[in-house]
Amino acid sequence: MEEIKSVSLEMKDYIVSSGAETLSWCMQCGLCTNLCPWRLVPGEVSEAFNIRKMQRLGQLGLEGFEDEEILFACATCGMCQSNCPRKVEIINNVRSMRNTTVGAGFLPAHLRPIAGSIHANGNPWSGEKEKRAEWQEGLDIPAFSEDTEYLLYVCCTSCYDTRSKKIAKSIVSLLKEAGVSFGVLTAEENCCGETIRKLGDEELFQKLAESNIKLFNSKGVKKIITTSPHCLYAFKKDYPDYGGEYEVVHYSEVLSKLMKEGKLTFKGEVGKKVTFHDPCYLGRHNEVYDAPRELIQAIPGVEFVELERNKSKSLCCAGGGGRVWAEVPMGQRFGELRITDAVEKQADVLVTACPYCILMLDDACAGLEKNDVLEVMEMSELLCSASKP
Amino acid sequence: MNIIVCIKQTFDTEAKIVLDGNGKIDPNGVNLIINPYDEYAIEEGIRLKEKFGGDVTIVTMGGPRAQEAVRTALAMGADKGVVVNDPILEGTDEWANAEILAKAVAQLPYDIILSGRIAIDDGASQISVRLAEALNIPSVTSVLKLEVAGTQVTATREIDGGTETIEVALPAVFTAQKGLNEPRYPSVAGIMKAKKKPLKSMAVADLGLAAGDLASKMSVQKYTLPTARQAGQKIPGDAPQAAKELARLLHEEAKVL
Repeated sequence: MEEIKSVSLEMKDYIVSSGAETLSWCMQCGLCTNLCPWRLVPGEVSEAFNIRKMQRLGQLGLEGFEDEEILFACATCGMCQSNCPRKVEIINNVRSMRNTTVGAGFLPAHLRPIAGSIHANGNPWSGEKEKRAEWQEGLDIPAFSEDTEYLLYVCCTSCYDTRSKKIAKSIVSLLKEAGVSFGVLTAEENCCGETIRKLGDEELFQKLAESNIKLFNSKGVKKIITTSPHCLYAFKKDYPDYGGEYEVVHYSEVLSKLMKEGKLTFKGEVGKKVTFHDPCYLGRHNEVYDAPRELIQAIPGVEFVELERNKSKSLCCAGGGGRVWAEVPMGQRFGELRITDAVEKQADVLVTACPYCILMLDDACAGLEKNDVLEVMEMSELLCSASKP
Repeated sequence: MNIIVCIKQTFDTEAKIVLDGNGKIDPNGVNLIINPYDEYAIEEGIRLKEKFGGDVTIVTMGGPRAQEAVRTALAMGADKGVVVNDPILEGTDEWANAEILAKAVAQLPYDIILSGRIAIDDGASQISVRLAEALNIPSVTSVLKLEVAGTQVTATREIDGGTETIEVALPAVFTAQKGLNEPRYPSVAGIMKAKKKPLKSMAVADLGLAAGDLASKMSVQKYTLPTARQAGQKIPGDAPQAAKELARLLHEEAKVL
């Protein structure tokens, strides 16, 4: 028998005061748990983590939700939240519950260097601040000024990770080709803070948001193009509360618009079967579903096939909510399911449009030894490969 | 059992060290953490309390931000905190710091005093041993295992290439080495309780010390940053050819082969 625990109004109040304002809306129907991708994999975390129960523990002020494997399990994919009949802001509640311990100075050991690096370097990847713009060498990217229409904000991951730098370079090349008026402030920027906020470090998030907003406002930034859907989320949904009001778009939105206007064409033939993995933060969180599909399907020769779970029902890669830094044994990674989905459709290429998704899907593809039948590509890379005849 | 744990707030392990215009280490904007070795000491103190009863008191010295470190230890399960916060601490050396700490500890009842074996910032490793000297009690450093039976303690400490087991009578000072335990994460209830636990702040004068008593015996002449690592060199060509070239460079230019 489980030990008897006592409810604590005080603890409930503490959680709510940390930001979980819709906690009491939950009627415990359990739809969230049934839709949760953790139900699709086996293992310790899957057995421990139940999002409905976590909300319930919070409602009653019961201990147990703060066990590391429960508190930090949610990948914030939004599958539960977008289907919740009571519109409970489940992710916000998770973030707030994390804040009850993280705000007091306790981060799980594997996340401490991440927060430490953000504090010291302005990015989570332990990259030196001075080297943030190093990938731009020789690319002739203009600096943002009052005369440029868009600021191109490049995700930390694509500034430092060798694999991910290719994404940044491809996006730059496509924007140039389409004649977009854009510039960068990369060297002076800090991490957008989306993920550290989801991890519950509100204080560090605020520090990042304030420094970026100060920079953007001082340079006269009005419109921002992001390379990552996570930065898109931060600028669009988190920054307005801190005085950062911008028109923010993901690069796929800009490119699809320009393509329709005839300013971007794909002349190269790609005779492959291509499928698309909707990143949670592009799809469910920002409702951008059509732009990437329009772009991919405009490439001559591409045979486009939808994955079984697509658009608002897309399955998370497990990279959000700080899970990109979690050590998960093979056999328990959502990314493996996604690779299998693509292989089942006999796709040659699995395309996505998020640097976290790329990290997770690349890992899963290699782990399942499917590299010989399936290639994982970021959309900008595929578009680039088709931009020249 | 009256358990004292002395902790230090240090720079985050990820912090970037920069020198200010006066050649001093610039603390502005740096994230601070509890010295990781002190976390083992806190954990050990709480475990002793859980086993034998009593109180864990956290003692620290430092600026206004040092309170955060004590609150963290209180959330883990310590009972009360003492912070010596005084502008004079900016210029004190290890000897003076140990004198101040000894005065602060001497005001409290103690059976066992714990701390980390080294602080990761200056790496001096002096305070705990000097503290024991000032209190005239024994000290055992780099402890990997601590067994308490009444007033007798059997401590296993790390030595070069092995371990050494020492028996000592309480009161005594022990410094924690990595491996002593796994520090806990606090429960949310613990964090909430910590906000109400007593935390006493005091100045050096409250300990009966004057600036004149604390004149440094040692002064730091200069801080220098490590020289930046030189850029690497990429050797082109196929593997056998590149390996040959690498061997040549290691032999002729680096002169390590």
